[in-house]
Amino acid sequence: MASTTVKTEQHDQPPKEKVVEKVDYLNLPCPIPYEEIHREALMSLKPDVFEGFRFEFNKGLSPQFALTHSVSMGVTEIPSQSPETIKIPTAQYEFGANFMDPKLMLLGRVLTDGRLNARVKWDFTDNFSLKANALLVNEPHMSHGMFNFDYKGTDYRAQFQMGNGALFGANYIQSVSPHLSLGGEVFWAGQHRKSGIGYAARYNTDKMVATGQVASTGMVALGYVHKVSEKVKKFDFVHCLVWDFYDEFLRPFFKLQVSLASDFMYNYMSRDVTASAGYDYILRQARLRGKIDSNGCVSAFLEERLNMGLNFILSAELDHSKKDYKFGFGLTVGQ
Amino acid sequence: MASRAGSSSRGRTGKGALAEEASTMKKVKEWSNWTLKKAKVVVHYGFIPMVIIIGMNSDPKPQLYQLLTPV
Repeated sequence: MASTTVKTEQHDQPPKEKVVEKVDYLNLPCPIPYEEIHREALMSLKPDVFEGFRFEFNKGLSPQFALTHSVSMGVTEIPSQSPETIKIPTAQYEFGANFMDPKLMLLGRVLTDGRLNARVKWDFTDNFSLKANALLVNEPHMSHGMFNFDYKGTDYRAQFQMGNGALFGANYIQSVSPHLSLGGEVFWAGQHRKSGIGYAARYNTDKMVATGQVASTGMVALGYVHKVSEKVKKFDFVHCLVWDFYDEFLRPFFKLQVSLASDFMYNYMSRDVTASAGYDYILRQARLRGKIDSNGCVSAFLEERLNMGLNFILSAELDHSKKDYKFGFGLTVGQ
Repeated sequence: MASRAGSSSRGRTGKGALAEEASTMKKVKEWSNWTLKKAKVVVHYGFIPMVIIIGMNSDPKPQLYQLLTPV
């Protein structure tokens, strides 16, 4: 966007007129993949809150290959019928190996109880890619796996999914205008004899993203994320000078990007409603995310960079309605 | 009589063909179940070693001691 101020002292750039571009409907940008349509809202509103202590060590052996060792001592929750959640204290060690290539990504994590979490992403041509995701456990019939075949066109994306338990799905998303993209999905779960259809829409500009998704399983999800940037309107000459000084010398130290996000989830079959609102402050050395929910749940997540390669994590989730309070802290070492 | 005999023999071969198809389907299902089970065991034990082998052969090639030492 063109700036609308004139600095009469130092620079003599003439004011640029705001150019209204003619929309070229044959040359629209490629949309975001269907499963990432709520990406900004999820990143801001659903950080990975945990309880207990977490330590993660990431060791890079080459620019493409890294090993991770992660220790976590905390509490795992078991879903139960009673209103109180059952918490079991556990401690586990997880070993992981990542290989990241522009064309091939392999990620494997194995826990002490033998559970393997594997992810593969392979771009075998510029437009085709194969993704696979598996969670394998030692007990029989409890493992899950899913394969996705993606095709990326000029202004659309199509995906076909196949999973265990005869789960098949397909989705398609198309850019309709430079800011709006619409998509739909169908899925069929053989084991549960369920099928469903869903639609999604996403409208994004430089400053905001609005998404909506409806599915025949009864889910309605709406999200809105607004990026607040630091540029404020410059009103007068003195203000301009002060602002220029701040802009040139101080701003690099206080680089701040704020996103405000809100989310609304409604299930019309079970009449369950949840609304949440939160913020995401990305500072130069830290990232703070906070959220409040209509279920009476308040959560915050802080990641602070203490030094090069050393990150300190604090997480808190207070669920006032269930009287469940979770606090966690951790350290991440490595690139 | 001949027609009745002919029709009864055709009926028997019809049922036999159906039974054969059902048994081939069963065999295909059994065989695919067996391969899936073996594939699951192979992936469970072999995925991480495969990632490590691919990583150790990537460019620039890391040394073996780097895999084991913590720093």
